[in-house]
Amino acid sequence: MLSQLHPLPKMALCLIWIGASVLVFDLRFQVMTLTLAFGLLWGVERVALWKLLALMVPFALFGFGFLTTSVLFNKESGFALQMAQEQAMTSPDFSPGLVLFARALACGMVSALFALTTDPGQLVRALMVHLRLPASVGFALMQAMHLVPDLGREVQVLRMARAMRLGKPVRRMPGPREGMAVSIPLLAFAIRRASRAAVAMEARGLRPGQPRSQMQTQPFQKADWVFLGLGVAFLGLVIRVL
Amino acid sequence: MPNTAVWTLRETLIVAVLGAVFGVLYLGWVQVWLILQAILGAVTMDVVMGFWFIVSIIAAAIIRKPGVALVSEVLAAAVQILLGSPAGLLLLVTGLVQGAGAEAVFAATRYRRWSLPVLMAAGVGAAVASFAYTWVRFDYGSLAPGLLILMFVLRCASGALLGGLLGHLIVKALYRTGVLSGLAIERDLRTAHV
Amino acid sequence: MSEAVRCEGVAVRYLFATRDAVGPLTLHVAQGERVLLLGPSGCGKSTLLHSLTGLIPTAIPGDRRGGLHLFGQAVESRRPADWADRVAMLFQDADQTLAGFTVADEIAFALENRALSPAVMVARVEKAMAQTGLPTDWKGRRISTLSGGQKQLVALAALLAQGADLVVADEPTASLAPGAAKGVADLLLAPGKTVLIVDHRLGPILDLIDRVVVLGRCGRPLVEGPPGAVFASHGATLAEQGIWTPLATRLRLALAGQGVEVPAVLQVGELVPHLPRGLDLAPMLMPAPCPPGPEILRLHQADCAPPFGPVVLRDVSLALRAGEVLGILGPNGAGKSTLAACLAGLIPPRKGRREGPSGAIAFQNAEAHFSADSVQAECLAMGVPGAKVAALLADWGLAQVAGQHPFTLSMGQKRRLALALLTATDRWPVLVLDEPTAGLDHAGTTGVARHIRRLAASGKALAVITHDADFALSVCDRVIVLAHGGVQASGPARAVLRDVALLSRVGLAPPEAAPLLDWMETQERIAC
Ligand SMILES: Nc1ncnc2c1ncn2[C@@H]1O[C@H](COP(=O)(O)OP(=O)(O)OP(=O)(O)O)[C@@H](O)[C@H]1O
Ligand SMILES: Nc1ncnc2c1ncn2[C@@H]1O[C@H](COP(=O)(O)OP(=O)(O)OP(=O)(O)O)[C@@H](O)[C@H]1O
Ligand SMILES: [Mg+2]
Ligand SMILES: [Mg+2]
Repeated sequence: MLSQLHPLPKMALCLIWIGASVLVFDLRFQVMTLTLAFGLLWGVERVALWKLLALMVPFALFGFGFLTTSVLFNKESGFALQMAQEQAMTSPDFSPGLVLFARALACGMVSALFALTTDPGQLVRALMVHLRLPASVGFALMQAMHLVPDLGREVQVLRMARAMRLGKPVRRMPGPREGMAVSIPLLAFAIRRASRAAVAMEARGLRPGQPRSQMQTQPFQKADWVFLGLGVAFLGLVIRVL
Repeated sequence: MPNTAVWTLRETLIVAVLGAVFGVLYLGWVQVWLILQAILGAVTMDVVMGFWFIVSIIAAAIIRKPGVALVSEVLAAAVQILLGSPAGLLLLVTGLVQGAGAEAVFAATRYRRWSLPVLMAAGVGAAVASFAYTWVRFDYGSLAPGLLILMFVLRCASGALLGGLLGHLIVKALYRTGVLSGLAIERDLRTAHV
Repeated sequence: MSEAVRCEGVAVRYLFATRDAVGPLTLHVAQGERVLLLGPSGCGKSTLLHSLTGLIPTAIPGDRRGGLHLFGQAVESRRPADWADRVAMLFQDADQTLAGFTVADEIAFALENRALSPAVMVARVEKAMAQTGLPTDWKGRRISTLSGGQKQLVALAALLAQGADLVVADEPTASLAPGAAKGVADLLLAPGKTVLIVDHRLGPILDLIDRVVVLGRCGRPLVEGPPGAVFASHGATLAEQGIWTPLATRLRLALAGQGVEVPAVLQVGELVPHLPRGLDLAPMLMPAPCPPGPEILRLHQADCAPPFGPVVLRDVSLALRAGEVLGILGPNGAGKSTLAACLAGLIPPRKGRREGPSGAIAFQNAEAHFSADSVQAECLAMGVPGAKVAALLADWGLAQVAGQHPFTLSMGQKRRLALALLTATDRWPVLVLDEPTAGLDHAGTTGVARHIRRLAASGKALAVITHDADFALSVCDRVIVLAHGGVQASGPARAVLRDVALLSRVGLAPPEAAPLLDWMETQERIAC
């Protein structure tokens, strides 16, 4: 359902929400945001539970640092305290480390909500059409967005080739040495792919500054604005209540 | 070939891709920092800071054109925000300041010199800019002068080593992989040898 | 009739190279003419195509001399991107043609750059997908989740959708299964189109081209003319340059060596009535039968999946013996490369078991093997002793490029280097070669066949994935056909490759040598 909405209003709402999440330094707000995003993804978008949990791992990892300093070492990292002081709306009952942990998860889930329900191609196209993003920059971004998931596959191929050269079986998880060994080839792969894509785009007629059309542009619909309005109103209400 | 200021399509794509890749790596580094911080204490941030300047140095050393350092750093920050960095939206400003610090050093050489000392100086430039920024943001004026000097020196050293030196090593390793052929760095190195 | 392409004394040299990669050569293509550019691997065909619209020197650093005109206009008077309205280009590497988006985005990209209206584009994209047989639900599929051949099909669909006045195609069918290759060739080379095509394997295109231009090893023109005339009167010259010629031509030359005269025809079928009785063709077509050794490797009811992908092969049981060469055939996307990784022990099966030592793969994408900064260093890194490197490179025809960076090699050179690295040492008891002959000329292909048989004779177990039934016939003892998620047939190469009904059901084609196999069969029956 969310994937049918136009990407721009959806992005606006997500950015507003992330902004609020940064400004409102309150555990309850972060937990509510997290639950809401999680609930939408799980209940409405029917994303598998294991996938959602797996998605939360990296976000939890950054947040984890705050949690460990706060819980294990029983002191707050200076950064967390500072962040807590900087914010206007703070409820002091909770440890700032815990709030930051929840905030990392909440912002991460909102980003994931946007990413999972938005076709990156449609987003870039919308940016090009409505916000006059230059085509070369737009397609550069699109290329970068497509690259990130492909890095995993490439790592796998690099590891197979390396294992063959060394005459060892491929391990399940790369160790630190293997990680170092594939990092430069991986970076080289990214640059090589960008270079090739540039030639491909040029050969197929991408000219900066020339008019171009779009095969599919999603028109704005009433539902998009209703969604944005309702979302902002709900956010305002929540902040009032807290 | 003259260094025109306009980015080619290939260069735009490379900056975008580097921004994306390093955005992901920077997030991983946040984790390293937080763990070290818990063990080592307050000044850790200054010690690890340099790595967060690296994309501007790598991208600029490869492409050697105005704006590359700034844009790549901002892009990496944007990617981190999209991926849910705990630092939030203010990271964009952080990226802007750090990128501008490195960019200023390259601009001072008029985008002509790319030796290791220049790259390390760019790391220091980013460190100085970010120090000024954090001074304002975290109200460093109230700290003891001795601590401040230590923090400043550590951050500059980190910028020079983790940013400049490591960036230089990565660029050299990338050069050996052959992917930089046809870019400004190859033209400069090869013509210097001839 | 005006000229589409006019090259006058064109020569191209890459930046910092010490010799020209191609030329000087003169080449004309009239409008409505379909020209095949033929030449040994590394002679500069792709380089020439890259310079046609000015990508060399604009996007790829290099230097071009001589005059180049497209449709009567000097090439350098427009930017390469401006030419996309009249010239559609298919690069040799599908990864190079495609920009890495989703299928529909890719196909529409060139049309969008010409600012066509959305309705026209949707219609053209749908038509191109239907023509190339891409399922309609692939529109949103990401290119990087496709198999090698599927990528090439998408690149072809993008090319067709462009509807350009001149089509320039560099080995458009190299990684396609025969059925798909034939369909694509018919579309691409329909009468009346203006096409400049490069290919090594001529089976599907031979009767669709008007003129052949042959380049020699040094990148200069050798002969040109209608295909029939060129192969009839210059067959020996071409063979000596290592260029692919029709089987009928090769057979005629070989028989002439034995004192048997047959007429100069292009199709093997026309040759059969002229074969003398008692002639033994087997040594020319098939490996000498050898007794298989002990079993080395076994898959028990294995389910195989690509990394991060779904299971594509279910319940595969398979054994490999020492000294045996197993051929793996199948349509594009059947799961051959997936099975390869599983056979070599690099990706464990999702279900079931694999028993045996781990082996090596020659990846379908040869670039995956390269990690060093020169061809020589690559050999040393693989453990080839320093004193043997020069001989190894000379054997694979790579002596001239020993100091070059592996990524600047031509496609065929990359493939040969990857195979040289894998076959040079004695390290792996099991070797899986994924499409080892894609992009190779005839000399390269016979070289690969020789090494495969040498390794088999030394007691290794080999599996060879290929779309080339004649190659499979010439090196494999046993063949399996993969399709629809499993093994459809398995048996001696000679038997499976003559099962026309089975092969056409899964989109494959019998070998060019099929009429000869039939003839041999009748001969044997008469003898009994
Ligand atoms: N970027 C480059 N820099 C230097 N030399 C190159 C570069 N690209 C190709 N070459 C060399 O130029 C020659 C011609 O290469 P090209 O790719 O045009 O060959 P080709 O005829 O297409 O061969 P194949 O049939 O194997 O594809 C080769 O010897 C190759 O090594
Ligand atoms: N990550 C993925 N997600 C979804 N499907 C995938 C993924 N990777 C591969 N596939 C599918 O798995 C199938 C098998 O792929 P594989 O590369 O093994 O085919 P193949 O037989 O080698 O084909 P080709 O002859 O074209 O090389 C293909 O249909 C491909 O589309
Ligand atoms: Mg080529
Ligand atoms: Mg394959």
